[in-house]
Amino acid sequence: MKNVWTIVKKEFYRFFRDKRMIITVLLPGILIYVLYSLMGTVFSEKAVDKDYKPTAYVINMPTEIEETLESALSVYDKDMTEEEAKEKVSVGEADLALVFPDNLFANDSSETPDVRIYYNSSKNSSVVAFSIVEAVLDLYKQPAFSVNAQGGGDLADEKDTAVSILSMLVPMLMFAMLASACIAVAPESIAGEKERGTMATLLVTPIKRVQLAVGKIISLTCFAMLSGVSSFIGVIFSLPKLVGGFIGAETAALYGVGDYFMLFGLIISIIFAIISAFSVLSSLAKSVKEAGAMITPLMMVIILLGLATMFVSANPSLGLFAIPLLGSGLAISSIMSFTATGAGVALAIISNVVLALLLTVLLAFTFKSEKIMFGK
Amino acid sequence: MEEILKAENLKKTFKLSKKQQRLEGVSVPLKVAVDNLSFTAYRGEIFGLLGPNGAGKTTTLRMLATLIKPDSGNAFINGNSIVSEEYAVRKSIGFLTSELKLDDFFTPNYLYDFFSELHCVDRATRDGRKRELFAKFGIDRFAEVKLANLSTGMKQKVSLVVSIVHDPDLIIFDEPTNGLDVLTAKVVTDFLQELKSQGKTIILSTHIFSLVEKLCDRVGIIINGKLAALDALEKLIENDTLENTFFGIYKSVTGENV
Repeated sequence: MKNVWTIVKKEFYRFFRDKRMIITVLLPGILIYVLYSLMGTVFSEKAVDKDYKPTAYVINMPTEIEETLESALSVYDKDMTEEEAKEKVSVGEADLALVFPDNLFANDSSETPDVRIYYNSSKNSSVVAFSIVEAVLDLYKQPAFSVNAQGGGDLADEKDTAVSILSMLVPMLMFAMLASACIAVAPESIAGEKERGTMATLLVTPIKRVQLAVGKIISLTCFAMLSGVSSFIGVIFSLPKLVGGFIGAETAALYGVGDYFMLFGLIISIIFAIISAFSVLSSLAKSVKEAGAMITPLMMVIILLGLATMFVSANPSLGLFAIPLLGSGLAISSIMSFTATGAGVALAIISNVVLALLLTVLLAFTFKSEKIMFGK
Repeated sequence: MEEILKAENLKKTFKLSKKQQRLEGVSVPLKVAVDNLSFTAYRGEIFGLLGPNGAGKTTTLRMLATLIKPDSGNAFINGNSIVSEEYAVRKSIGFLTSELKLDDFFTPNYLYDFFSELHCVDRATRDGRKRELFAKFGIDRFAEVKLANLSTGMKQKVSLVVSIVHDPDLIIFDEPTNGLDVLTAKVVTDFLQELKSQGKTIILSTHIFSLVEKLCDRVGIIINGKLAALDALEKLIENDTLENTFFGIYKSVTGENV
């Protein structure tokens, strides 16, 4: 036990005095925050507020539909020429220009009266306004029955939309984030020691290989946790902006302390599992570079597992939670959609820990193998 | 004389790649690096393994240091098998080779303490020994300088000191003076003699005749993985210089003129 502690102390000393390492670990959180916030801002500029009332110039407004149109549109100056109104729409000063014929509802000639609607498709609000007006006019074209005139409407509330987006997005984002945190520290500490020849120096001391493996994995899990926490904070702060960009809702307040607690437990166990897997590969590699090349495919698989949770049925059986990493993806997804069960989350955490422990033993075996440690 | 190291029929083979087979002009995919090597070292002596590059010296020392395992045969250090009691062996030996590096990031002081801890040296003993060894090698002035900023010679001295933090009975040195300037080399060879006078046993490998003549009590000559001669130094240089004796043995073993 004392030797494990000696190794952990050394790794911490090494890590916290190396500015480069600390930056590598803390940077992802800052990057995620900046990136997601920017994405959210861009989306929110594109999105149209539900309460937004499109503006329109209307020429020759028929009295029969004046009231209906004015309930949906802010109608400007009615005495304007068609050309002037078109100009206003094309420069974006108004969403629509409507030109009605004189005899829309009292047509006695054989010619079908035509309503001209000008809109500007480069502006979202203009497109929305166009479809509103088209729908309104449709009602008047075929007055056989009305739709949603006395009820009906969109029943999804903002919370539901946010939840469904989060439960799909977060597992994959989380996996990508945590895996990149692990890849930042594992190859350097294990393949790096091999490459620099410092691992052999450790191996001639009486330290047990399993103590070395445990010491390394504890330290690396802690460093990756730092990176994970940094990313996590980045996500927590930027998610409201990102998701808000889509649907305009505050998300941080959606989840309770218990949810964050479960999420945190899952994150630790996921990092533990990923670090162990990356450490074994780093130990097999001859250099940091080779370790990176060996880990990259596994990292893709891990991100795909996060993605796969989107396609697993909405109510996965408990057995699926027992699959390492995939189970954690499902558990995160269930926390995000308020359907988490203690058993599911616990099973996911246990499966990660069991996998990590097995891999730690495997790591100790690689330290014992002269072929792996000293093979040229 | 008390035996401290007894090697019995040590054998180690390495696999050769196809390309390596072509280069060496052989058709078997195995190279015997060490072939049935047996020798004994006694407490308080300096035992030299002399041989050309590729003779199997380093492989032998790595087996003795438990970094690699022999294919067959065994060796006992203080009665502990290098095959089955490697932890006990690691406690009683110090191994210094250019292959074992120290992390450039740390200071000599930190590394000394770190390896002392791994060897379970208590604090008081550690501090006393550290002061003494650092002063002897002039490391004290650089104790808090990162290894990366030290000269090659100073780094080598730190490696030497770190390899013996636990005051081992048997010290294995692979080419101890390679790459060192004459001044540093002298500090190292003087220290080896001092260790001997303290009753320590030293196994060293080298291809430098003068080093053997200066330091060794007994010498084993390794050629192509086999022990070609083993005798006290004075016996080997009874009739001729060590150099001529070596070339004579080399010719009789390989049939090649040098």
